[in-house]
Amino acid sequence: MSESFPIKDLARRKFQTSLAIIGLTICTATTVFLTIFGDSLGLGVSFLTSGKLTVGFSRISSVFITFVSLLNILAGALITYFLVSLTMSERVRDIGVMKASGCLTELAFSYFATELFIIVFIGCLAGTVVGIFTYYASANVLNSLGFSIAQKPLNTWSVLYVFLIFFVVSHIFGILPVVKAIRIKPAEALSPTQSLGTTFEAGKAVPSRLGFTLKIAFRALVRRKSATRQAIICLAAILTLTTVTIVGGVVANQTTQSYVERAIGRDVIVISHPDIFEQYVDFLSQFIEVKQMEPIDFLDPKYFIISDSLISNLSRISGVVKAEPRIILDTTIYEVQVLIIDPEDPTQKMLVGDNRFGEALVLGIQPGQVINDWLILGKPLSEGELDSAIIGDSLASAIFSDALLQKLRLFGNETFQIVGVCLDPLNKGNVVYVPLRTLASLVPRSGYNIVFLRVDPANRSQVLAKIEETISGTELEFFELDEILGKHLDFVNLIWSSVMLLPLSSLITAVLCLLSYVMLSIAGQQRDFGIMRALGAKPKTILKIVFTEALLVLLISGAIGIPTGLFITFTFLIPDPVISQFSLLAVSGWLVLTLGFLSLSSLYPGVKAVKKTIAHIMSQTY
Amino acid sequence: MKKKRESVVSASSLCKEYQIGDIKIEALKDLNLDVVEGEFVSIYGPSGAGKTTLLNIVGGLDKPTNGKIIVFGHQLDTYDENFLATFRSAYIGFVFQSYNLISTLTAIENVAFPTELAGLPKGQAKERSNNLLQLVGLSHRANHFPAQLSGGEQQRVAFARALANNPPLLLVDEPTGNLDTETGLEIVRILKKMKEEGKTVIVATHDERIMQLANRTMHLQNGRIVAEK
Repeated sequence: MSESFPIKDLARRKFQTSLAIIGLTICTATTVFLTIFGDSLGLGVSFLTSGKLTVGFSRISSVFITFVSLLNILAGALITYFLVSLTMSERVRDIGVMKASGCLTELAFSYFATELFIIVFIGCLAGTVVGIFTYYASANVLNSLGFSIAQKPLNTWSVLYVFLIFFVVSHIFGILPVVKAIRIKPAEALSPTQSLGTTFEAGKAVPSRLGFTLKIAFRALVRRKSATRQAIICLAAILTLTTVTIVGGVVANQTTQSYVERAIGRDVIVISHPDIFEQYVDFLSQFIEVKQMEPIDFLDPKYFIISDSLISNLSRISGVVKAEPRIILDTTIYEVQVLIIDPEDPTQKMLVGDNRFGEALVLGIQPGQVINDWLILGKPLSEGELDSAIIGDSLASAIFSDALLQKLRLFGNETFQIVGVCLDPLNKGNVVYVPLRTLASLVPRSGYNIVFLRVDPANRSQVLAKIEETISGTELEFFELDEILGKHLDFVNLIWSSVMLLPLSSLITAVLCLLSYVMLSIAGQQRDFGIMRALGAKPKTILKIVFTEALLVLLISGAIGIPTGLFITFTFLIPDPVISQFSLLAVSGWLVLTLGFLSLSSLYPGVKAVKKTIAHIMSQTY
Repeated sequence: MKKKRESVVSASSLCKEYQIGDIKIEALKDLNLDVVEGEFVSIYGPSGAGKTTLLNIVGGLDKPTNGKIIVFGHQLDTYDENFLATFRSAYIGFVFQSYNLISTLTAIENVAFPTELAGLPKGQAKERSNNLLQLVGLSHRANHFPAQLSGGEQQRVAFARALANNPPLLLVDEPTGNLDTETGLEIVRILKKMKEEGKTVIVATHDERIMQLANRTMHLQNGRIVAEK
């Protein structure tokens, strides 16, 4: 044997080598893609706030990306372990022959270790290239659809980290079966009981009253228990990943869309001076695209043209469910330090916070009439609490140490106790909501500069006509927010739809894993299948056995992987999930489709096997 | 006057070629064979003479490259795999040289296998399988897996299985090839019983004891029948 043996050997075993490389490529590519794509959108694992989304949204995506990446690394390592194990179980005989012919253990090990190195290196490298390419392709698609995704320079370090992690972990997992196989004694290696990693133990525990197909399939699984166990572990990990990505994709999409819809409001009509509305829309759109904004003076008297009597007239229009006047302005927010009892030493007090400040949008709202329904950490504003405030998640993260314990300061000396932190796309979460009465008393204006109406969608056109009539003769105009809301929902949907590529990649990995197992199984039973056919079994009988075997492995793996994936998703990934009948149906549909596709894919090697003539099979096996 | 016996196997100008890389191997060359109902035919010849290939073609396991093979009135080379499976189940009992029991089934399950394929009710299938195991003297090993049986026992189970659907034609390939003399005698006894029951048997063998049972013995060499007595 020469030094080129490993390369020649891999080339000779093209199919298995390709399976291992493709499996590893997919896992690496998915993680590389997620890392760069997340970073670019501001979903990055480092909780970057310089992107578009608010910190709260970013955190959901970051946790998601972290979990999926970890599961990907695990899946990549397990699939390497599994495929190398399968290969080595077929090579035990060769190792026996090599050793019996005088080949040193170290030399035999170096051959197989080199093969592993080549597979892992090519798989990780190809995965990195594919991941980068997929990112650029996705970003271009998103840009062509109108979402301006800034293509940052490639973060070479994070890509390198992903490559190295995959390379090292896969190598460690892959070398284990090589070490195990190489330690075998020549006599054991050449024994027929070692061939294909099977034992000839009968599997007495398997009931014989099961149907014919199920009986044979079940016994074949038990007989090949080591490989079966590995396949189940590998598939369970991949199905966990698939479940996380599917449920993450569907439920997180719906949940984040719900957060956005609740924060912006549906069936909402805004009445204001056009300049104010334009600013409001621009502040909202910061969530989906970076826009250069022309600053205006919100306190200009020309904008304060909404009176209480106008509000009263608008409220009386049939079909107007709620009318909420607001004052909107932008100003500097200051963090206020607070002294609290030290939770670790109740006898001591400690100072929380610093003296940071930042620009934010401030809105005066009427707690009882508010049209928004934010996801709030803490509590919403209530009627009686005139010096309370709720703030957006990005602001809370940017200038407060522990917002819910602290106060903020406005206009010099006015302080507000922060009672809640809300998830709001407006101004990317850099917002402050205070009681309207308080804000009105602090600004040197009377009236309001914007009003929000929630209308009954059933009578929309009549309501709009009435509104138009009511505000005619003023500089006010009315605008529907639903179009803006639609854009936001489309954006969220698009981001999660991109993530839905992930289940596809894990599905391919699962197919590779299952195919490898089924192929091993068929190779081990080829003689049995030949005999069955010689005795009168039709090709479909053999296919049924192969299919049942794959289905059993798949169902056991699914029974482990799917609940684990659901547990991870709902426990760690999505806070306050929105689970509608639709999402349940969608998730179930996707999971059933996944299992269905996987089980059908197992038929491929079966069909290939039954195409061989019986005489050929009988002459090839012993 | 003796009733004319029906033709069971009629092979004319059978050719079978295999391509292994660049090498073409002619396993059967222009072979003609006729076997009638109740006949016991033995075929002998050196390794590679084409005995197994001939049995495979007669049993519908393989198709000839040229020529015609008619078994029980069916021209086998014209049918698809599904028909041939049903045909084998109904007409042919196979006994292979290397036992070829299904490793994941017990002895009795192996015997019952062809009856299950033929759709025999479970109760009847079990009773019949038990009777057949008794016939070959292995009822005490019914629940053992092939790996737990000796070579001779496996071959006897293979005979029981071949008889499971009471097929009119038995194709037997070197039944004693892997067995010691004593164990081989058991097989000879079973074959003798088959002959007495009037089954049509074609057996490829080198065993003199089996050849003595035959009505006709053919010498196959290089894919051709070179002698017949």
